[in-house]
Amino acid sequence: MKHHPKTKTHFLPKRTAIIIVALLAAVGLMSFELTGKHDSGKIIVVKDSVGSVAAFRQVYKVLMSPRCMNCHPAGDIPLQGDDNHLHTMSPRRGPDGTGMYAMKCSNCHQPANTPGLHTPPGNPKWHLPPADMKMVFQGRTPHELAKQIMDPDRNGHKSMDQLIAHASDTLVTGAWHPGAGRTLPPMSYKAFKKAWITWLTKGAYAPPGK
Amino acid sequence: MISLNINQKDYQVDADPDMPLLWAIRDLAGLTGTKFGCGVAQCGACVVHLNGEAVRSCVTKVSRAAGQKIVTIEGLSQNNDHRLQIAWNEANVPQCGYCHSGQIMSAAVLLRENPNPTDEDIDMAMSGNICRCGTYLRIRKAIHLAAEMQRKESSSR
Amino acid sequence: MAIEQISRRSFIKTTGTAGLALWLGLSAKGSTRKTTNIATTKNFSPFILVEDNGSITIYNIKPEMGQGTFQSVPAVIAEEFEVSLGQVSIKNTSGEPEFGRGQRAGGSASIRTGYNDYRKIGAAARTVFIAAAANRWKVSPDNCYADNGKVFNNTDKRSFTYGELVEDAAKLDLPKEPKLKDPKDFKIVGKMSHRPDIPLKTCGKAQFGIDVQVPGMVYASVERCPVIGGTLKSFDASEALKMPGVLKVVGAERIVGNYRYTGVAVIANSWWAAMQARKKLQIDWDFKGFDNFSSEDYEEHLRSLASEEGLVDKNIGDITSVSVSPQNTVEALYETPMVAHSPMEPMNAVAHVQGDKLEIWTSTQVPSSVTGNSPNELPKLMGFAPENVQMHNMFVGGGFGRRLYLDYMTEAVNIAKQYDKPVKLIWSREDTTQCGPFRPMTFSKLSGGFSGDGKLVTFTHKVISPSLSESARPNFDKTKVDGSMVEGIGEQDYQVPNLKTSYVRADYHVPLAAWRSVTSSTLAFAHECFIDELAHKAGKDPLDFRMSLLASDSDTARIFRKLSEVSNWDQPVGERRGRGVGQWKFFAGQCAQAVEVTHKPDGTIKIDKVYAVIDLGVAVNPDNVANQTEGAVVMALTAATKPAITFEQGRVMQHNFYDNTMVRINEMPQVEVHILTGEGKIKGVGEPGLPPFAPALANAIFAATGKRIRKMPFELKV
Repeated sequence: MKHHPKTKTHFLPKRTAIIIVALLAAVGLMSFELTGKHDSGKIIVVKDSVGSVAAFRQVYKVLMSPRCMNCHPAGDIPLQGDDNHLHTMSPRRGPDGTGMYAMKCSNCHQPANTPGLHTPPGNPKWHLPPADMKMVFQGRTPHELAKQIMDPDRNGHKSMDQLIAHASDTLVTGAWHPGAGRTLPPMSYKAFKKAWITWLTKGAYAPPGK
Repeated sequence: MISLNINQKDYQVDADPDMPLLWAIRDLAGLTGTKFGCGVAQCGACVVHLNGEAVRSCVTKVSRAAGQKIVTIEGLSQNNDHRLQIAWNEANVPQCGYCHSGQIMSAAVLLRENPNPTDEDIDMAMSGNICRCGTYLRIRKAIHLAAEMQRKESSSR
Repeated sequence: MAIEQISRRSFIKTTGTAGLALWLGLSAKGSTRKTTNIATTKNFSPFILVEDNGSITIYNIKPEMGQGTFQSVPAVIAEEFEVSLGQVSIKNTSGEPEFGRGQRAGGSASIRTGYNDYRKIGAAARTVFIAAAANRWKVSPDNCYADNGKVFNNTDKRSFTYGELVEDAAKLDLPKEPKLKDPKDFKIVGKMSHRPDIPLKTCGKAQFGIDVQVPGMVYASVERCPVIGGTLKSFDASEALKMPGVLKVVGAERIVGNYRYTGVAVIANSWWAAMQARKKLQIDWDFKGFDNFSSEDYEEHLRSLASEEGLVDKNIGDITSVSVSPQNTVEALYETPMVAHSPMEPMNAVAHVQGDKLEIWTSTQVPSSVTGNSPNELPKLMGFAPENVQMHNMFVGGGFGRRLYLDYMTEAVNIAKQYDKPVKLIWSREDTTQCGPFRPMTFSKLSGGFSGDGKLVTFTHKVISPSLSESARPNFDKTKVDGSMVEGIGEQDYQVPNLKTSYVRADYHVPLAAWRSVTSSTLAFAHECFIDELAHKAGKDPLDFRMSLLASDSDTARIFRKLSEVSNWDQPVGERRGRGVGQWKFFAGQCAQAVEVTHKPDGTIKIDKVYAVIDLGVAVNPDNVANQTEGAVVMALTAATKPAITFEQGRVMQHNFYDNTMVRINEMPQVEVHILTGEGKIKGVGEPGLPPFAPALANAIFAATGKRIRKMPFELKV
């Protein structure tokens, strides 16, 4: 069987992945509003559970929208459409998330969106999360999803840095260029990115509940 | 002019880079074994191998395939004797036959990557290929037959 | 070799390399050719060509669309002619008048109506070759026999090949009633054999209509009114004409039965270019009010018509003479939808018009109608003399009834009339899904009444639907029952003393078509599910109840006995499982099926197994019969459980395989096919496997869950 290289993963020690620098100066807060990074390049976290949870509630709306959730399914078959139905030809995740056998994602999903209605949307690295790191969104409560995203064992071993960078990943930004006929996530990309970074840099608190 | 290598032969085709590979293969290279079924990557009738992967040529732009290695049903074997082709004949799989170029090209990737497929593996690999005549039971049977041939060949080596 | 080279005499000197050749066969009606001395039945004119170089060609007059006629028809001829299929070339015919009017595939008719003729053709040919050899040896023909393309002298085993005997054999008259082989001596018929078209279909060499390439050919794609019934007011092609590769934009009429639609065709140097330019057309349509039409409203209309009396079809006994108490009566309304044929090969044709001549390449079920002389056949429809139409029929990438219609050819010809090169028209998948003609929906109102002692004494089945015949043919008589819409209902073997069937016709504006197994594909669902309801009312096992309505020597009872045996009907199926039965007897033949399902804890229904018993009389290639029946189950499962064709605002709501979904391999149930031969008349293969499946499945779901399903399509979830 052909072996596919793993998608990029970084193995960082748990808990140390997040660099916490307490900084109280108001001037600092302004400069990392959009990037979450201080001028020094370090990520500055200012704990604010209320603000963080409020931001995550926004983030959650986007992550649970079809454009994001459809490729973060609970099972091994991706979803399609605004009703999140199972992908009509039942492609499988496969070990590395790029599909299996004759049903690899890139066999249909091209480097860019195929023109026209109901044609495959595209991205050069179109795939699902891999089998050993499924990063399921479908069915997750806000609490569960926030905890999951912050858990390096379940988030693809992503550090804070990498989580922030992930918002600029073309697979994420692609949600706002989904191809003809597909609904957009419920807020602008800019608003999403701001909420994402705010959530993380205010301490990445999970909304209460289960 | 775009240069395409199809079945180990070079073709210079005068095609818009956005033209789907399917139409370049069929109408410009004149290889009509690869079929048009849906045009939106739903049915699998147009499956060809692009660098060994079972891509759907109806949504693959000719520009993506330029200079790459393309294999169509006509190039799968020299004499219709790929073990899948033999098995397809043995199990009398096709009815109208229109979808079977794509079916066989999809199955070839399965067999390469999994020499001992179960029914479930076959379903996973082949659920992208529609057969309106309904020959699915025979497709399963033929893939098992071909896998058996492949195993016998490798064990006798 | 051109067909017109056939001379008045059977023995000809050809201009090619073949040298001497002998054409043998039957001609249509009354035999105008000296060689065709056999009294012919209706429409058959198959041929054998033997050349003096030994090569033998058998002409297949039944288009190959997956049903196996490329083998089965020649196989029956070859059987009697004593040649193996391996030593003959098989050629599909293309509507040439020499081959008669029977060049059409539909109604599962190729073997069931032609079997005896094909045998006679082969046997007559064998007889003259044996006689020719006997003359040379100066022995009695009885002392000779034919085998594997040779005639042998029984005494000394000398032999001549058929090729060596051509000249002598040609001088002999073909016997009218040749001696047929004893079926126990058959070497081909009834034996599993590999179909000769399959190798062509595993290497890409089989040429379908869409594969035809003619020098100088251009391509066309047509934009049609999105609202069926709308008309073209005007169009602006200026933007389309600026697109690369575009050659011309023209209006093009398409004729479907009684309907005529005009679309706008883009002609370009590639089909892809034509498709791109098609999107740039500015078209003003007149929807004629049809944009108010919806399937939902129409279904409500059909429901309201269910209370009408309708036209009586069958009336046995006197339904009014029996008084049945309401508690002994069962009534139900069953509903089925329109569906599309969706063959994998989209509609297409290459047409080349030069003056008053037309050459056309396509895949069709009806070559005879492409070159025929009737008003509703292609030459007259398009204004050509039949002798000026030359057609080339290719392998057919799925027919299912869709390619009984000439509409896509009329469109191609109308485009080709406006361009001086061969034009290849290809329909997109969306065109193929949305433009019709479609299988009509039928609604069925049924009632059954039991006497006080539990006997079924009354049975009525009223069909409410638009009419296939009204859609397809001119001068439809609305005062008469359209027989195709009550198809099979009166043919069932169930005996009920008072039985009435009737038909309520509904007006419609959507073009309709026969779809594999025609109206039986919907009526059997209603009829056989309702029989199940009656069995339930009577408190009997569904199969026992059916048997109680049947004469024990009836076809249906015989088939059910086999089905009961192979499906282990007398064994319980277990917890959360159910088993259902269905059968249908109709023009094409008869099949009965038992379906086993499991009701899973999540509510989904898994189809565990399908047992099919098909009654044939004779099976030319049993393995192909099994393949056809497996396929019929898949097509029936798709129609029963996948989305139908529906309308909103006059538009078809399904487009392509993402919303007009098909059963895929991961949904395929196990199917076990049993073939009954030797008894009963010769029956068809392609269609009979379809009608029994949906009722057997719905009845199995009832058995497993207690939920009665009265509407298709239905979800596999309870």
